[in-house]
Amino acid sequence: MAVGTSGGKTFIRPDGREKVTGAGRYTADLASTGMAHAAFRYADHPHARILRIDTTKARALPGVVAVVTQGDLPDVRFGGLVQDRTLFAKDVVRFEGEIVAGVAALTETAAAEAARLIEVEYEPLPVLTDFVAAMDADAPLVHSDWSSYERDEQMVADGNTISYSTIVKGDANAAMARADVVVKSRYESDASQGVPIEPRAVLAEWRGDEVTIWSSTQVPYAARSGVAQTLQIPEANVRVVVPLLGGGFGAKCDLHFEAQVAALARAARRPVRLVFSRQEEFRAIAQRREGIVMEFETGAMRDGRLVARRARLVLDKGAYCGEGGFLGQMAAMHACGPYVIEAISVESFLNYSNRQPSGSVRAPTAPQVCWGLEQHMDEVARELGLDPVELRRRTLIERGAEGPTRQVFDEIGVKQTLERAVEMIRYDRDLPEDEAIGVAVGWWPSGPAPSGAYIHLNGDGSGTIVTGAQENGSGAVMAMPTFVGEELGMEPESFTLLYQDTAAANWDMGSCGSQTTFNSGRAILAAAADVRGQLLDAAAAELEVDREDLELAEGQVRVKGSPDRSVSIADIAGAGTIHGKGSGDVPEVPAGDTGGCVGRLGSETFAAPQLITQAAHVKVDRETGVVRVLKVAAAHDSGVILNRMGADGQVTGGVVMGLGLALSEGTVFDDDGRQRNPHLLDYKLVTCSDAPEIEIDWVQIPTENAGPRGSKGVGEPPQVPTAAAIANAVAKVLGRRVRQLPMTPERVWAASAEVGS
Amino acid sequence: MKTAATLTVNGAAYPVELDPHLSLLDAVRDLIGLTGSKEGCDDSECGACMMLLDGKPVNSCSYLALQADGRDVTTVEGLAEGDELTPLQRALLEHGGVQCGFCTPGMLISATALLREHPDPSEEDVRIALSGNLCRCTGYDGIVRAVRSAARSSA
Ligand code: FES
Ligand code: FES
Repeated sequence: MAVGTSGGKTFIRPDGREKVTGAGRYTADLASTGMAHAAFRYADHPHARILRIDTTKARALPGVVAVVTQGDLPDVRFGGLVQDRTLFAKDVVRFEGEIVAGVAALTETAAAEAARLIEVEYEPLPVLTDFVAAMDADAPLVHSDWSSYERDEQMVADGNTISYSTIVKGDANAAMARADVVVKSRYESDASQGVPIEPRAVLAEWRGDEVTIWSSTQVPYAARSGVAQTLQIPEANVRVVVPLLGGGFGAKCDLHFEAQVAALARAARRPVRLVFSRQEEFRAIAQRREGIVMEFETGAMRDGRLVARRARLVLDKGAYCGEGGFLGQMAAMHACGPYVIEAISVESFLNYSNRQPSGSVRAPTAPQVCWGLEQHMDEVARELGLDPVELRRRTLIERGAEGPTRQVFDEIGVKQTLERAVEMIRYDRDLPEDEAIGVAVGWWPSGPAPSGAYIHLNGDGSGTIVTGAQENGSGAVMAMPTFVGEELGMEPESFTLLYQDTAAANWDMGSCGSQTTFNSGRAILAAAADVRGQLLDAAAAELEVDREDLELAEGQVRVKGSPDRSVSIADIAGAGTIHGKGSGDVPEVPAGDTGGCVGRLGSETFAAPQLITQAAHVKVDRETGVVRVLKVAAAHDSGVILNRMGADGQVTGGVVMGLGLALSEGTVFDDDGRQRNPHLLDYKLVTCSDAPEIEIDWVQIPTENAGPRGSKGVGEPPQVPTAAAIANAVAKVLGRRVRQLPMTPERVWAASAEVGS
Repeated sequence: MKTAATLTVNGAAYPVELDPHLSLLDAVRDLIGLTGSKEGCDDSECGACMMLLDGKPVNSCSYLALQADGRDVTTVEGLAEGDELTPLQRALLEHGGVQCGFCTPGMLISATALLREHPDPSEEDVRIALSGNLCRCTGYDGIVRAVRSAARSSA
C-alpha cells in the first residue's frame, strides 16, 4: 500500500511552538501605526425599507475618522450563485445582522458611540421567518427585485425559493407501489453555528491604490476576489494575508467584511481594524448551519432491498445567497445516502427568510439530513424486522454499485467501516435498560479543484514551500514539509512555509471542502517532482551517470548501490536557481445520469466519496431527558491516510462537534428572526467533561482518481453521522423517536413521555 | 479618570494608567502588549483569556485590571523557561492537543494550575479542571492525554 512514511509517524507541527508559547499572532493581535477601530451599525429591523440615513452626528463625534454607507461605494451586488447582497444595506435591510453603515474612530469606544449616533429612518416591511411558509402564495417576498440580480441559470428564483433541485432515478412512484413495506417519516433540524473560538478580525491598510488586508478567513482568495469585485479594483491591487487562524469550520468561508474594512480604511486614510465580539460572531456573519425540514418515504422488499425513496426537503437560506447556493442539491444527495436504491425521487427547496444567512458549515447539510435519514433507515429496519446493522449490510454501496444518479463507484470501503465500527463498540453486548448503541452511516464528497505550488531551493540547501493552501488548524498545511522532504530525500525541517498570502502563491480554494491535502497536497507533490527532476538532471551531468541510476536520500543525490558517488543537494542548489512548480492533474468528477434532475449545482455525483460509520453508546435519563454519550466508535474510509495525527484530530474534533449538534447546539430565532441565544451561555458547546471516549479506525483503501497517494478528504466527514448514531441509540432506549434536532433534554423528555411526539 | 497602578506580569513590573473599567485581559494585551492571552467571548464562557493571578486561574476578560494591582500575573508567555518548553507545552504538541491554537493559551494556564495542585490527576480530574476552557477543534482528546502524560513525565 502506498502509505507515505508520514502515515504513522508523530510529527510536531511547524506552527506548534508559537502556538504554545503565545508568541503566534492572530489577526486581532495585529496593530498598525495610526490604526483606527471599526464598528458597524446593524439593522434596527429584520426587514425594512431604509428611508433615510443621516451620519452627521456620527461624523461630528471627536475621534471619528470615517463613516461609510453603500452610497459611498460602487453599486455592486455580490454573492455566489445569486448576486443578491451589497456590502452595506442598499434600500432594504433583510436580517438583524445586516450592516447599514460602518464607522472608523481612534478608539473602540468612540467607534461604538458613533455607530449608535447614525440616524436611520425605516419603513418596516412584513417579516418572514418561517422558511417553509416562505413558499405560500401570500408570503412576503424577501427579495422583491429578483429579476435584476445576476444569477446562475440553474437557480430558479421563484418567489422566496432560491433553488429547486431534484435527484431522479427511475420511476420512484411505480417502485414504491410494488414495495413490501413503505415507511414514512418527518424530521426537523434547527439552525446552528460553526463557532470557531476566535471571533473574526480584519485589518486593512492602503499604500497608494493597493490594499493589504489581514483577515481571519478560511478562503483568502475568495476574499480577494470579493474585495476586488465590490470595490471595483483589480485583484492585483488586493493582497489578503491570513495570520494564524483560530478555527473556522466553514463559518469563516466566503467574503466576510474584508471589503467593508478596506472601504473604511480608504476613507479614513489610515489602517483600520475590525474585531468582532462573540455576539457579532453569532449574529452578523453569513455562515451558519441551515435549518431543514425533511420528509422521507422508503419502499423496501422483505429481504431488505430498497426499491424506492421519495423525499422532500425544505432548507433555510436566510436572507442572502452567499456561497451557499448549492446547499439544496447537496442535501438532496444526502437524502439518498450511500445506499443502493432502485428508484429515487428527491426534491429540495432552498428558501429565503428574514433570518441570518446560512452557508457552508463543516459538511453543510450532511449532519442534519444524515440524522433524519439514518433514523428513518432504522425505522425501515424495524418495519422489516431486521436489525439496523443487518439492513445496512444488505443495502450499502460497494464497488460497481450505482449511486443516486447512476454514478458507478470504484473500490469503496463503506461496508468495512460498518463492520469495524460495530466491532469497536461491541454492538452485540447486553446493556442496562437505560443504555443503548446506535449506528449511522454517512458520506461526503471530495472536492477536486485546481491548486498550485512553488518550491524554491535556497543557496544553502534549505527550501521554501510556497502554497496558496490555508491552514485552519487541522495540520493539513503543516504536514506539507514532510511530504516534500520525503520526495526530495531531505529533512522536513529544511523547509519553511510561505502560505496564507495571496501575493505569494497561486489561487487556491482555501480551507473548505476538505480539499487541502486533496488539491494543495497534489500541487505540492507536483512541485516537488519538478524540483526532483532538476536535481537529478544536475547530478546526472555532474556525476556523468544516467538519471535512472540516481536516488535522493539524506540530502544527497547519489548513485544507487554506490552511495559514496554523490553530490549534495546543497551544492546543486548553490546558485539558488532551483525552483519547482506544479499543479498536478485535477481528478475528474465522475459521470452520472442527471438527465432527469433539475437544479444541477455540482453535487450530482460525488468524487472520491468519503464514507463513515459511527456507533454511539449512550445513556439516557428518562426522568430529565439528559443524554450522556459514553463512547463513539468511528470508522472512516478517507482513502490512504497521509498524516495520522492530523486525521485522528479531525475525527475527535468532528465527533465532539457532532455531539454538540446532536444534543445542545441550536440557534433559537424569535418571531422577528432575531437570535435569542447569540452567546456561549445559551448556545452550549460540548465541554471537556462532556466529551466521550472516541475510538478511531481508518479503512485505508488506495483510491483511484483521488488525492495524492490514494488519499481522499478528511476534515468534514467526521461530523456527518455522529448526531444520527446518537439519535438511533436514544430511540432504542426510549422506544420512540426524537424528531427535532438538537435533541435537547426537553425534547428527549417529551418524546419519552409521549408529549407532542 | 485613570489610576496609576503596577501590573506584575510574568515577573516583570509594568507601571500602567488604568481606566477603572478596563479588564485585566485588555490591560495585558493593549497596554503591555502581551497578546498571547485571547479573547473568545468577553463573558467568562470560553477560557481563552485565562491567566494565573497569584497562582490561581482567572478569566481575565471578566477581571478588572485594577484588582490585579500589585499582584502576580502569569500569562501563557510566562510558562516556558527561556527557549525551553515546559513538559506540558511539549506534550500538548506531541499528542495533537493543538490545532488552531486559539484555546491553547487558556488551556495551558488551566492545566498548569491543575498540575500544581494535583501532580498526578486522573482523567476525570483533568476533564473537570479543563471544563471552563472551550476547544472547538480537538474534541479535547489530545489535550487530556497531553496533560496526563505531562503529569507522568514530571512525576
Ligand atoms: S474571553 Fe474570557 S472567558 Fe472567554
Ligand atoms: S485548538 Fe482550536 S479551539 Fe482548541
